Amino acid sequence: MPPLTRRHFLRGIAGPLFVHRLGRLARALPDLLYPFEEIPPSRSGITWRHTAGKSPEKYLPETTGAGCAFLDYDNDGWIDIYLVNSGKCDFYVPNPPLRNALYHNNRDGTFADVTEKAGVGAGGYGQGVAVGDYDGDGFPDLYVTQYGRSILYHNNGDGTFTDVTEKAGVAAPGWCSSAVWFDYDNDGRLDLFVCHFVDFDKAKSKDCHAGEDAKRGYCIPHLYKPMPSWLFHNNGDGTFTDVSKPSGIGNYPGKAWGVVATDINNDGRVDLFVANDTVANFLFANRGNGRFEEIGTQAGVAYSAEGRPRSGMGLDSADFNQDGWMDLFVANIDHEMYSLYQNNHDETFDDEALATGIGQATRLMSGWGLKFFDYDNDGNLDLLLANGNPDDLIEELTRKQVGYHEPLLLFHNNGQSWENVSSRSGPVFRKSLSARGLAIGDFDNDGGVDVLISVNDDPPVLLRNKTGGHNHWLGIQLVGKKANADAVGARVIYQAGDLKRSRMKVGGGSYLSYHDPRMVLGIGQRPKLDWLEIQWPQPSGRLERFTDLPIDRYITIVEGEGKWK
Amino acid sequence: MCEPSTFRAAVALIGAVVVTCSAQVARKPQTPDISSSARHSLELAKKGHCAEALPALRRSFSRLGDKDLQRETGLGGVRCAMTLGQPDAAADFLQILGREFPNDPEVLYVLVHAYSDLSTRAAQELAHVAPDSEQAHLLDAEALETQGKWDPAAAEYQKVLQKNPRAAGVHFRLGRLLLSKPNPGPDMAEQAKKEFQEELKIDPNNAGAEYVLGELAHQDQQLDDAVQHFSRAASLDPSFGDAFLGLGAALISLKKFSEAIAPLEAASKLEPANPAAHYNLGLAYSRVGRKPDADKEFAIHRQLTQNNKGQDQGDPSQNPN
Repeated sequence: MPPLTRRHFLRGIAGPLFVHRLGRLARALPDLLYPFEEIPPSRSGITWRHTAGKSPEKYLPETTGAGCAFLDYDNDGWIDIYLVNSGKCDFYVPNPPLRNALYHNNRDGTFADVTEKAGVGAGGYGQGVAVGDYDGDGFPDLYVTQYGRSILYHNNGDGTFTDVTEKAGVAAPGWCSSAVWFDYDNDGRLDLFVCHFVDFDKAKSKDCHAGEDAKRGYCIPHLYKPMPSWLFHNNGDGTFTDVSKPSGIGNYPGKAWGVVATDINNDGRVDLFVANDTVANFLFANRGNGRFEEIGTQAGVAYSAEGRPRSGMGLDSADFNQDGWMDLFVANIDHEMYSLYQNNHDETFDDEALATGIGQATRLMSGWGLKFFDYDNDGNLDLLLANGNPDDLIEELTRKQVGYHEPLLLFHNNGQSWENVSSRSGPVFRKSLSARGLAIGDFDNDGGVDVLISVNDDPPVLLRNKTGGHNHWLGIQLVGKKANADAVGARVIYQAGDLKRSRMKVGGGSYLSYHDPRMVLGIGQRPKLDWLEIQWPQPSGRLERFTDLPIDRYITIVEGEGKWK
Repeated sequence: MCEPSTFRAAVALIGAVVVTCSAQVARKPQTPDISSSARHSLELAKKGHCAEALPALRRSFSRLGDKDLQRETGLGGVRCAMTLGQPDAAADFLQILGREFPNDPEVLYVLVHAYSDLSTRAAQELAHVAPDSEQAHLLDAEALETQGKWDPAAAEYQKVLQKNPRAAGVHFRLGRLLLSKPNPGPDMAEQAKKEFQEELKIDPNNAGAEYVLGELAHQDQQLDDAVQHFSRAASLDPSFGDAFLGLGAALISLKKFSEAIAPLEAASKLEPANPAAHYNLGLAYSRVGRKPDADKEFAIHRQLTQNNKGQDQGDPSQNPN
């Protein structure tokens, strides 16, 4: 009898256990009852689309982009949109030229393209975007990652930006993917971590063939050499110092796609979780004095349960089970399942994906953008996943067992367990997409956190959350003074009647994308929010408590002012 | 009835290797010593006089001191034996060739085709003498399964069970087939589970069936069941490394880290090159505070993982995303 090994078994069993079912009931629901509604370009005014520049040579960057962001670049209290496109590089010369897009929120559900005026069109082969007020002037700045050379756009505060990359020293040559702003040394200034994918250029691109007729396909990244990511220290004068090596991060070559800045051990120092493709994920524990220790393997987040490196892509961090400790999530490629890592409070994690049903639901999926957020404002953090296989031959290779375009997945957290509610969340969840980036933000200020999804070689998808008014909420914008301006690492604890919740403001998360800086605190049907505490990050460390808070609106809390406005 | 096409698969190349024997009658060899006899027989074989050459080739083959001549004699002997339809003689040559010339590409090439041809002939013989036998259906089912013809293969396995409802191993194969099918239906895992359970009713000592039931239970998060199945599999076959690994992994899922150590130590001893065994053992050690032991296992895991990534930056053919 032929032997049946564990590894063969695990691959063979993938099919029967994964079924994405759409209930009859869901199809019968009127659109009004769905939490999410897709806003078409004819309504939003967003006519821009992503162009991958797909070629017969199948250069790998063609299938990996691109990202998107919700940001309020003009501080008018309405969230704007930034979208990243492909552009000129050594393997692609678009004609006419392509550019990124900045859309200004017109406050009526429509957006206006202000890219030219703002001067943020970029033009290189774009990948992602990270938003942060690195100079503390009150206006969010943009870091656009590219294949080739990345760009730092300083926000001038008048609707325009200036490319300050060279002066700042953050070009990070090579193939950059996600990036995150966070204050690793607790000096009150936002530093910059930039994911470096593999050692790639046109000359190093490999020919890969697959299938019975040996069609040319996109190569698995294990064929390319891993590269160390960058950490740039903010000098406070508009320049940065590359501290990759002295921090320890430069000692770890990886194939980084996603990064989230979070505090996994509650020591007040922000750590980094990095998703790598075909090599082990990294968990860089911030040990202070500018040093990071890579503890992914011991922590149990580097490999699959079988000890195999997976194709980590998108990720996030949140305290989903409200035990006071930040948990992790990472999306992988088909046949690998995604992982929901529950924090054991001792720098180790257990993967609860199978126990929660998320593992089975994602067994054949390939995940990129994703985010924990409370879409129904019941006080529990839910999870939205954007999917799509990077290999356009995958359906042929797997006899359509795995799809190239894949649907979004929405998991509702009821505080005890997770439920896949995709089938009753809107018609858009029945669409198959080649989704990549995913950003969350409330573009219509109704308290329902909306979603922006960037789609490879297609227009973006804008989802309006219609549940904002169904439950009560409070939106808060935190402004650090002694702490970093974006308050990355701040912990917010709030109570409304019997509901007590704790949230941390993480840096980044998702894939190539950035999010509305405001936090929306859901309280369900409870009529008031009793109190709110903010533990500001170091070097402040200040604890501020607020009562007599409004609900169902946004407020701004500036560190140390003792009041909200 | 077996499908004749199933048995017609892989003979073609051996024909090209084998020298056709003519009906001519050769002269009687005159050379007195073994080497001369062997050379003369080889000449006869090359001219197609296999019937005359083969007895002399057999006589001289194992006694030759000249390795080159022995190799040539063996290869000639295989060709003649296959041409004359004498499988026993061919097997004798093949056995010695394989032993004496284990790294010789030409010898290995001939071995592949000769064994393949012998296999095909035996299958044809089975189809001829007992076309509706349990064994013929079983062979047919296995061939169809190998070709990815899942439904016809399952039908053949069912025919075996119709003839012999207590045939050992058939329910196991059916279960395995169900798990291998692409685009399976939603209840396929459940159906497969039933097949493995049926197998155990017939053959309670089938460690493989216990093992797969353990994996299915683990996938379903029925962790206590998984532990029981893996434990039985490991007890039935103490050399079954994957069963010990499955047991350890299930115990880790149950957060019984101390209990997981013993089976994982067994797994890593039985399968020292399996990275998963070392990784899980490292995790178990780590969670019970045995950091130096954990670090050692993680280091082995890392080394094995790097070794297994041999394709890194290697040949990109057949390596799509």
